[in-house]
Amino acid sequence: MKSPYNGQEVITLDNVSKRYYLYPQRVRELKKAILHLPTFLKDSRARQPFWALRDVSLTVRRGESVGIIGPNGAGKSTLLRIVSRLAPLTKGKLTVRGRVSPLLELGAGFHPQISGRENAVLNAVLLGLSHKEAQEKLPEIVEFSELGNFIDQPMRTYSSGMYVRLGFAVAVHVRPEILLVDEVLAVGDAEFQRKCFDHIEKLRQEQVTIVLVTHDLESVKRFCDRAVLLNHGVIAVEGEPQEVVDEYLSSHFEFSAGPTDGGDS
Amino acid sequence: MRAVSVAAPRGFDLSQLARTWELLLLLTARDVKLRYEGTILGFLWTLAKPLLLALVFSFALSKVLRIDVGDAPYVLFLLSALFPWTWFQSSVQFSAGSFSNNAALLKKVYFPRFVLPFSAITSQLIHFLLSIPILALLLLAADFSPGPEWLLGVPLLMAIQLLMLAGAVLLVASFNVFLRDLEHLVEVLMLLWLYLTPILYPLSLVKERIGSVIYLNPMASLIQAWRDLFLYDQLPGVDIWPALLFAGIALVAGSIAFKTLEGQFEVAL
Repeated sequence: MKSPYNGQEVITLDNVSKRYYLYPQRVRELKKAILHLPTFLKDSRARQPFWALRDVSLTVRRGESVGIIGPNGAGKSTLLRIVSRLAPLTKGKLTVRGRVSPLLELGAGFHPQISGRENAVLNAVLLGLSHKEAQEKLPEIVEFSELGNFIDQPMRTYSSGMYVRLGFAVAVHVRPEILLVDEVLAVGDAEFQRKCFDHIEKLRQEQVTIVLVTHDLESVKRFCDRAVLLNHGVIAVEGEPQEVVDEYLSSHFEFSAGPTDGGDS
Repeated sequence: MRAVSVAAPRGFDLSQLARTWELLLLLTARDVKLRYEGTILGFLWTLAKPLLLALVFSFALSKVLRIDVGDAPYVLFLLSALFPWTWFQSSVQFSAGSFSNNAALLKKVYFPRFVLPFSAITSQLIHFLLSIPILALLLLAADFSPGPEWLLGVPLLMAIQLLMLAGAVLLVASFNVFLRDLEHLVEVLMLLWLYLTPILYPLSLVKERIGSVIYLNPMASLIQAWRDLFLYDQLPGVDIWPALLFAGIALVAGSIAFKTLEGQFEVAL
């Protein structure tokens, strides 16, 4: 793999595989489990293994930005979830050096009963800052969110727009070492997307390592040093964004003509 | 071959440990604040519940059934065990849903997840700590003055109960992700457990009848130790060993359950 980045390897996936099981019907109620015990046991055995990722090996170096593309169900999000430790892997080895932050998990854990200010601090600590860092960043976060006096009101009084603004303000000010971005373009209006992209561009210039999962091929070409095409849980192509995107587009007709395997996992 | 190594960027895992601690404190502060948000009497409610319960029990058990509890007034006899018990019971109850009710958060951000059930323990601990001065005042009024033994005894028993709770909440909260019924079951079991523990009656009363079997109840010796400390300024002695043993067992079982089940959270939540 030719890459201008010879820095430290910050993400290393070594033959990583991830297996999920598909159950005909998942019973999580004691009553149902007991009442329909024969069916429950049969269903538990009838689970179908589904390999979301198969022997994926990938190395990302410090400061690099890598785009992951591929059709629905290719395993893109699973890959991000594994790197962010949200999903344990089934086989293989993962090494991550540095603080991983997901972008656009906006307002995860916001509690409606407490103020925006208190939520912002808790959210920032959840995303990886120390309490001290979070306190230091707080004035900037409040400023950026443009919430004014509302910042000390309980969040239940916020409009959904204000909610997202505060979530984004926190996300922007949590300086990650590795930024994972999943489908920026799926959320928000044009203005909001522009702000997101400005932010990603800024982080990129600050040598933050970025892994971007998206269906928007233009943004891969624009932001990424390298692209990876995933298909059915396997790395199909890896290389220059332009080449990989072209490869994806030319083979895309093949994919859309064939059977698709469910939603993106 | 199955390994995940996540190397810390600088200096051991100490920064991670510090952050976990801060997260626990922040969640605790939030819990405590939420409890009193919008209430006029605030903290008084936390006291009111065991106090009212104590009044009802003291009428039923000391006036009607006439249980002999020694020289202490029944209300004090009861409260000296009921306050620590309340800490135990509400921690387990509140923590049961701490994973299952935070699915959105757990599916999006990785953080040391055990802080969620642990914050139930610590926020309930705050309430317990605040109730100790009240108990001390009541004891003082009845000429059962708190002694200097409290300074050593309270932290010691608190530590044992903390360990026991840590194991218990990990166990309950982890399994509750897969079987939500547990939340409801725990509520009923806790009520039963209350009656099976020498809280309303003295330990000696059951020991006469069923012997040492009572020590199979993990809370029996611990509650007795709290009572001996609060009422008679007695430091826990060797009698405390069942509580220590059960704390160890709970901690091991809870950690194993959490470690094993945590990997399945992503699909079960």
